[in-house]
Amino acid sequence: MRIIRSNRHKYCADGSFMKEFVLDSEVTPEFLDFLKRFGTLEMLPGLGEGFYKFEKKDCFSIKGFVNESGFEVRFKKEVMDFTSDFLYSLLYYYQNGKPDFKTLSRREEALIERVKTRLYGSSS
Amino acid sequence: MKQEKPLIYLNNAATSWPKPPEVIQAVQESLSYPFSGGGRGFGNEKRDYLSEGREVMCNFLGEDSPEHLIFSANATDSLNTLIHGFVASQKEKIHVLSTTLEHNSVLRPLHYLTKQDKISVDYVPFHDSIVNPEKITEAVTSKTQLVVMNHGSNVLGSVQDIRAVCEYLHDKGIFSIVDGSQTAGHILIDLSSINPDAFVFTGHKALFGMPGIGGFYIRDPEQVIPVRMGGTGSDSGNLDQPVDLPERYEIGTHNYPGIASLIAGVNFIRATGMKKMKEKAEQQTRFMIDELSAESAITIYNHKPDLPIIALNISGLDNDDVGFILARKDNILVRTGLHCAPFVHQAIDNGAGCVRISLSWFTTDEECRIATDAIKEIAHHANHTI
Repeated sequence: MRIIRSNRHKYCADGSFMKEFVLDSEVTPEFLDFLKRFGTLEMLPGLGEGFYKFEKKDCFSIKGFVNESGFEVRFKKEVMDFTSDFLYSLLYYYQNGKPDFKTLSRREEALIERVKTRLYGSSS
Repeated sequence: MKQEKPLIYLNNAATSWPKPPEVIQAVQESLSYPFSGGGRGFGNEKRDYLSEGREVMCNFLGEDSPEHLIFSANATDSLNTLIHGFVASQKEKIHVLSTTLEHNSVLRPLHYLTKQDKISVDYVPFHDSIVNPEKITEAVTSKTQLVVMNHGSNVLGSVQDIRAVCEYLHDKGIFSIVDGSQTAGHILIDLSSINPDAFVFTGHKALFGMPGIGGFYIRDPEQVIPVRMGGTGSDSGNLDQPVDLPERYEIGTHNYPGIASLIAGVNFIRATGMKKMKEKAEQQTRFMIDELSAESAITIYNHKPDLPIIALNISGLDNDDVGFILARKDNILVRTGLHCAPFVHQAIDNGAGCVRISLSWFTTDEECRIATDAIKEIAHHANHTI
């Protein structure tokens, strides 16, 4: 999966930075299954084709509708410089069909450490 | 993004849309001729927009001194001019009263001036969407020199009894600024009987003008010194800012297309009839509130608004998610979040924010029904999260 372009962006009331992304393919239930290994996923399946909201604590949240080729991401501003890279990695490694969980888990671990250090002054 | 459904715009308390065809035509006409006239120019060769705009707006607000009607960029611009100008004219630190219903256009200038130690502020709380005038009079101290309060809440749609407040303040010699951003165009305003020292309006909401035009009416300009200086097209050899109205506050080139849109917007309201418009808005607002109130998952924060504004939340869902779903699934645009009124939300929803629906004359009954059904559908699914 690949980001084609970022449509809109704004600073939100909760202090996060929102970006709306257009993707080269639709968000499928399989992609959401993949995504939820890295955070929490809530779904309202009865609304349209299914509203979903993914949250990676301290990093970003994603929301959108299943089978739409786009979603909205809210980045925690303070750590956006490196959490956005992780988001791109998630999409990139899913693109290959067989997600490389080993690499992603290693990157996730490193990300969490950096985020905690930035936000709380320590990774422990 | 799938957008097969026609757009339903319910964010009119922010900026009204669509605009009457007369407004669009007036803007087009205003740009079709070169501006001409004495000094900086007063309009184009066909019309004197500035004089006409002042007269139309002054008359609409029930006043008869057009030169006291000042044009600005919007209500926030007006409020900054008035608040900073009044405080700058004071020799010592003063006490200011305001309310917890205010918009950041009031709260932020007051906060800034508090940090500068120019003022101390107390905010009178509201109850059931209303600020009791007696609570304001009770909060007045011997050092109170200024009261800034809104006429209509942008979150709760409640209209305040500013007549009672302004009468009291007038007798006490306390300067009053009323923010009419949400009321001008929705309800009949007769400033000659209400008697505020300054009344602020904006053109892009219920007056159907374009963004970038607003203004205020000021009774006694001596109490508000100009805090911005610049070209006025008059007395240009003098480096001091002119003291006369309207040049005292109006600097730089005017927003002629904006003034043209404001004139056309006010004329549209007059031609349509404010009573008729108000009745329709009340009927539609009532319909939506009655329907939505019947849903146990929906919390309505203003059951009897005076303006066509509905504030709500759906239990189990973030207000922003509700707005997102409405926009993406149904192509319905509402406003979510804090609506630049943080104190209101601290009081009604612990500062989390809410969904705001705001109607206009152009909102149809069918749009109200579709939006109501869409919100009810979200509420039905809200507690079925996987």
